[in-house]
Amino acid sequence: MSYQYGQGYSGPGGNAPQWQQPPRAPYAGGPAAGQYGSPYGSAPPGQQYGGGSPYGSYGQPGPRAPYGGGQAPGGPYGGYGQPQGGPYRQQGSAGNVPPGVNPEAYQWFSTVDSDQSGYINAKELKQALMNFNNSSFNDETCIMMLNMFDKTKSGRVDVFGFSALWTFLQQWRAAFQQFDRDRSGSINTNEMHQALSQMGYNLSPQFIQELVNRYSVRGGTGVLQLDRFIQVCTQLQSMTQAFREKDTGMTGNVRMSYEDFLSSAITRLM
Amino acid sequence: MAYHNQYRPPHYNSAPPDQGFLWNIFQRVDKDRSGAISDTELQQALSNGTWTPFNPVTVRSIISMFDRENKGGVNFNEFAGVWKYITDWQNIFRTYDRDNSGFIDKNELKQALTGFGYRLSDQFYNTLIEKFDRQKRGQVAFDDFIQCCIVLQRLTDVFRRYDTDQDGWIQVSYEQYLSMVFNVV
Repeated sequence: MSYQYGQGYSGPGGNAPQWQQPPRAPYAGGPAAGQYGSPYGSAPPGQQYGGGSPYGSYGQPGPRAPYGGGQAPGGPYGGYGQPQGGPYRQQGSAGNVPPGVNPEAYQWFSTVDSDQSGYINAKELKQALMNFNNSSFNDETCIMMLNMFDKTKSGRVDVFGFSALWTFLQQWRAAFQQFDRDRSGSINTNEMHQALSQMGYNLSPQFIQELVNRYSVRGGTGVLQLDRFIQVCTQLQSMTQAFREKDTGMTGNVRMSYEDFLSSAITRLM
Repeated sequence: MAYHNQYRPPHYNSAPPDQGFLWNIFQRVDKDRSGAISDTELQQALSNGTWTPFNPVTVRSIISMFDRENKGGVNFNEFAGVWKYITDWQNIFRTYDRDNSGFIDKNELKQALTGFGYRLSDQFYNTLIEKFDRQKRGQVAFDDFIQCCIVLQRLTDVFRRYDTDQDGWIQVSYEQYLSMVFNVV
């Protein structure tokens, strides 16, 4: 009898670089990719695991269109601030785009790098990103994303790091819209419940309620904005992986020493 | 998310600086004159002893400790606490950086943390250095040292809460584990 965390709690495969790849929509990076040896960002999630996966939790209908129908950033639903320098959007002559960089991300980079330093720092990123209620992204999420895509951990990314970050954001943003069933621009506890269970997590309603309460805006109505949704899901993914590595018997319970605990958490911290 | 001031540096209690002196600094750091010092402003004002930007995660940890209303920055009154906090860490760092290199190597880190009361294996110090050494020199700079101590303290506190019989071992379910770690990040 094995405990279901979901997310393909199905074997080791923990050697994939969890943080450097975009979540293949919410079916989450590391473990699955390791297991199935899938290349970076190729097929959209629905196709990846198809219906007939041996692991129950994959069988459920995930968000099948993680790319949100190709909506451009700055579209009607926000998610990104409007690029200030409109003209950049037209320029994007492919010749200037460094190899391996998403052309659309490249245009964004030029706009967002307001001091033309060649890097985007937390402040510039924060100014460029918006939740669907037009609030700016919180600092923690901006720092978390910068650190995920910046190996030097200096709190800034170059154009290559930004390109990966941009793809990551696009995919989470599309997933967010998918899970936001009532189109309110935020995720309520019910929607979060559905989202997490579709991602394959097996979590109690109380726990999910606590998560939402803790990460909802102070004095707000207990809903998650896009920034917090990304933060919570990314951390959940990382911590589940940490637990999974300790839970070798797949019982859902782990006995660990003080140092085991410290190591497991510290190596996964962002 | 405020961790308040329970995470003060151990064994240190410097005298509070003169208000006029602090006000002067505050005004210089508060570049946009908003009356509050933001993450970016504090980051630009702080030096880790190298030419690289101060660790943004450390900056966020410090601001969130003193930012009472969760406004994303610290006002002048709160800044006095920030100033003292950083000064205290600086004094500690200097004590353990015996060779004055501006970095703390594994041995120095071990001496510092042992001095704070931690008993950790040699191998664990390798993990710590690997994780917190942002500059990949095999040793930690001032900003990373602070962050390392903050994280260790938070994790130790949460572990202690679960280790009711205090034997150094806990048995936790998946959700309990998540709760523990979510309280720290």
